Amino acid sequence: MSADVILVIVVATALAFDFTNGFHDTANVVATSISTGAARPSVAIGFASLLNFVGAFISISVAATVAKDVVNAEVITPTIVFAGLIGAIAWNLITWYFGLPSSSSHALIGGVVGSAVAAAGLDAVLAEGLVGKVLIPAVVAPLVAFLVAGLAIGISYRVVGKQRPGIVTRGYRYGQIVSSGLLALAHGTNDAQKTMGVITLALIAAGKLGAEADPPTWVIVASATAIALGTYSGGWRIIKTTGTRIIKMDAAQGFSAQGAGAAVILASTHFGFPLSTTHVINGGVMGSGAAKRLSAVRWGVAGNIVVAWVLTLPAAALIGALTYGFTRIFGTGALGPALVTLMALSLVTAAFARRARQGAPVEAVGG
Amino acid sequence: MIATLVQWKDVWQTVVASVVAGVGITFAFSVGIWGTGQFVELSRSDRQGAASAAGLVALLAFAVVAAAVIIGIVVMTQK
Repeated sequence: MSADVILVIVVATALAFDFTNGFHDTANVVATSISTGAARPSVAIGFASLLNFVGAFISISVAATVAKDVVNAEVITPTIVFAGLIGAIAWNLITWYFGLPSSSSHALIGGVVGSAVAAAGLDAVLAEGLVGKVLIPAVVAPLVAFLVAGLAIGISYRVVGKQRPGIVTRGYRYGQIVSSGLLALAHGTNDAQKTMGVITLALIAAGKLGAEADPPTWVIVASATAIALGTYSGGWRIIKTTGTRIIKMDAAQGFSAQGAGAAVILASTHFGFPLSTTHVINGGVMGSGAAKRLSAVRWGVAGNIVVAWVLTLPAAALIGALTYGFTRIFGTGALGPALVTLMALSLVTAAFARRARQGAPVEAVGG
Repeated sequence: MIATLVQWKDVWQTVVASVVAGVGITFAFSVGIWGTGQFVELSRSDRQGAASAAGLVALLAFAVVAAAVIIGIVVMTQK
């Protein structure tokens, strides 16, 4: 009975994480399109949400790899997964609160690593996976995107420099609609699978599925729905940061950041070295601004974003570890996770209420 | 220690492929816009031959971009 209750809590928490993932990462897909006027905010977000949903059904081949690459799968229990998810959700909400785009995947990995270390010690961490699949890509992604978007915008300006501005702006805006669609599909495929993987892992650990089972259909549909609803809710603070606070971009810069970003993400996926969408898009925005003029980039805002990236893994890990430690005070049953869930719900409600009272510190872009 | 933990070949391949794909797609799309602009301008000045050539360049460039989008979707489905 207790195991079933924990399983239900883990599934609900995983779907809540999926929602925050969509909510947090909406900006990656729509921010540049909205800020350059390529699409109205409601249309851009609705389109991204729909393609996130569709993307979740494209592939389930890597659904269970998110934690297995960095944590010894033998030590994973539903409570460790739960604590890791709480770490990830907490960091996603903290960075949303301050309008900082950070990687939801890194938050999830950090949370699971932290809770696994708290449960089983440092031996639970697979150093090769952590360094090779998380830390190095975290450094490579923004630098590559910065370079590619910088080169791309330089070439774009040279190619279209003498054309009429109307055609150029319209052309790049259309291009942004296509590239944002591609990004939304990629995001749905990549990120919804992480939640599918986490839920499947919990079902296997609880003995509800065989060790090599694929995610059941209800898991796929629930994960796709949660990320699409999160995307549809739109994380306006982060959209504002990515779309207008790093640089004031024109349509060509928006396309360079987003089109080059989509190409970078898919090229890296093809070579089995997936890069964070958040890091790529924000690195690309900085690169497309810096290539035009170094002073065009608000380096203070960019610095805050980089600090958030550096803090994501350790902060989510710390919260995950503390959460695991707290749940163990109440033994190995469902009481600890249930109490943490109630506390988390109270804190989230208080944070949203506080923000609602204060009003948004940054107004929604374009309405 | 880090040198032994990281698959540098994967990193290098990713960087090269990212630069080629990212810059290539943007270049192709920009050529498409350039061709469209030229097509409009040349058509207005009644230079149909040159306008057709520019239009063809635009079509080819957009076809490259469309192919890249399809390849991107295939990459997503096959990973």
